[in-house]
Amino acid sequence: MRMIAFAASLLLSTPVWAQDSAALVDTAITDHILPGFTSLANASEALKSAAATDCRSDSEALRTAYHKGFDAWMAVNHLRFGPTEADERAFALAFWPDTKGFAPKSLSKLIAAEDPVVADQAEFSEVSVAARGFFAMEFLLYDDRISQLGDDAYRCSLIQAVANDINRNADAILTDWQSTYPTLMRTPSPEGPYTTDLAAVAELFKALDTGLQFNEEARLGRPLGTFDKPRPRRAEARRSGRSLQNISVSLSSLEQLASILSAQSPSPSDNLTAAFESALSHAEELQDDPVFAGVSDIQGRLRVEILQQYIGNIRDIVLQELGPALDVTAGFNALDGD
Amino acid sequence: MVTRRRMLAGLAATSLLPSAGWSSVGTPDYLSAARAPDGTYLLAGLTTTDEITFTIPLPARGHAAAAHPERAEAVAFARRPGTFALVMDCRDGAVLKTLTAPESRHFYGHGTFSADGATLFTSENDYEAGEGIIGLWDVTRNYARIGEFSSGGVGPHDLKLMPNGETLVVANGGIETHPDMGRSKLNIPVMAPNLSYVTTSGVPVEDVTLPAALHKNSIRHLAVRQDGMVAFAMQWQGSKSATHPLLGLHQRGTEVKLLTAPPKAQQQLQGYAGSVALSNDGNLVAITSPRGNVLHVFDTGTGQPSAILSAKDVCGVGPTSDGFVFTTGTGIIGTLQSTTAQHALQWDNHLIAITP
Repeated sequence: MRMIAFAASLLLSTPVWAQDSAALVDTAITDHILPGFTSLANASEALKSAAATDCRSDSEALRTAYHKGFDAWMAVNHLRFGPTEADERAFALAFWPDTKGFAPKSLSKLIAAEDPVVADQAEFSEVSVAARGFFAMEFLLYDDRISQLGDDAYRCSLIQAVANDINRNADAILTDWQSTYPTLMRTPSPEGPYTTDLAAVAELFKALDTGLQFNEEARLGRPLGTFDKPRPRRAEARRSGRSLQNISVSLSSLEQLASILSAQSPSPSDNLTAAFESALSHAEELQDDPVFAGVSDIQGRLRVEILQQYIGNIRDIVLQELGPALDVTAGFNALDGD
Repeated sequence: MVTRRRMLAGLAATSLLPSAGWSSVGTPDYLSAARAPDGTYLLAGLTTTDEITFTIPLPARGHAAAAHPERAEAVAFARRPGTFALVMDCRDGAVLKTLTAPESRHFYGHGTFSADGATLFTSENDYEAGEGIIGLWDVTRNYARIGEFSSGGVGPHDLKLMPNGETLVVANGGIETHPDMGRSKLNIPVMAPNLSYVTTSGVPVEDVTLPAALHKNSIRHLAVRQDGMVAFAMQWQGSKSATHPLLGLHQRGTEVKLLTAPPKAQQQLQGYAGSVALSNDGNLVAITSPRGNVLHVFDTGTGQPSAILSAKDVCGVGPTSDGFVFTTGTGIIGTLQSTTAQHALQWDNHLIAITP
């Protein structure tokens, strides 16, 4: 084998000042990632026992546990790398958007067949991601049709199986974060997923940016649709009234990550604090429209669009100020991704 | 030798005067979009000897372009999910026609012409259904939309005309997107990319899929050899630490051959191949990774890696007689042997070979 190797060009950019990348990564793991996944594991444990105690879809205790679990997931759902991506765990916890209606289809199929797969946790973990996780639970608890479909006893077992599966996935993610994965991020190596400290910072930066992007484009963009064709029924988790709540929890958590990543860069840090403050206080004012039903009328639509713009402003600061400050700005083509 | 097809194509072209051939713009070998230092975008003609033969302005960032086989005419596509494409006269940048995607369709950024240059095929998304579409445009009637057919999969990206002139090969990336959600991906856990062969009249003739374990390997870009061998480049959508193959070779009616570098070199690609090209002699195939800042060359006969070259933000790659020309987002044009030019331009994703 003939190997030609030479460098055609080197990095054009240089960091503005010496940055302690390892410290940024360390703080993010200790103060943001580990507490977040610990909360998710605890909340999903509580959801599992609530379902074991009372599995009726209108059980107040079960519904409260569902909301607490969903909140805990929203606080970490932007951390889409490593432990959440192994074995489709993140998708198994939350399969959305579900453009082709896989969740109601797969749940109806299980219920109609009274599929015994619910009796075995290992077998249930092989069921389609659409029939598992928080969105499947939402259908089982809140959807007018699915929550009444078929045999009550079977639906009860299905609710328990979904709760157990959520807990199993949350535990698996936490176990990885408590054992192997922090080492991979803290000690870069040529064989590992991160070859430098900066690569690990870049991973966290990407999580921040794509988390903001998902709130802007998916959680708000989907229900907004177009001016001529608003799509209120596409709002995330609208059945349980959580569309706005999901964004608020996600933004608060992204604010924490942004503040950790900008700790060594004063100027973007101040601008980010102000931009998050604007977005979160506007979200607060939207409380009277928790599922973005207002996107169909001009006034209501404007209020939702303003939240979208505030999130867009945060992203601009992240990409134009924080990225260069951290020296993680990807190349013209590397960033394009097509 | 002038074949009958070439003769006919030549006649068709002359009937559409006053258009002119590629020689009128310095006989470029490739087209590439780029960003200028002032933040404006342009389309340029390049030669294998790194000359810029023409530049014309673009209104926004381009993605790929399609080059008319005879006339100095290029179709520049907006980045997905764009709804328009510009047919441009490469002599002066005049916009000859703006192609607008029909209702509930958007372009994916690639297109190709029929051998006689009379039809343009474009990869499109029927985004409410989440199904891939090939759009047909009649070049002889000022690029009128004349029809469409299924791309044979979800999220079609690159497409190329096979050497028989009668079949298209389509890279159906498998990823569902919706313009309301920008470039967010909607179906990663259930995605199923494929390589689809379909006649120019829309009849599916062969469907090639990857093993189930590779269902997250989005097939995006294509190069075709004179004997019909197709090289395809992929983008891995799963976990980052994986070292799955990102390059495949396929001959109609046979099994796919997947090519990988040794694990450490493969890891460097970061699961992302941006472009693919075959050398004109057909002996070498190259993929680029702007994320890994690296270009990999393989021997098509043995399937073994034959060269690895580092270049910051490398993405565009096109054929020369026995090797490749590559371009980078830092403005470099190079070959396997050396860096040959540095322009104050950021070369965009693709180097499109002009093949008369």
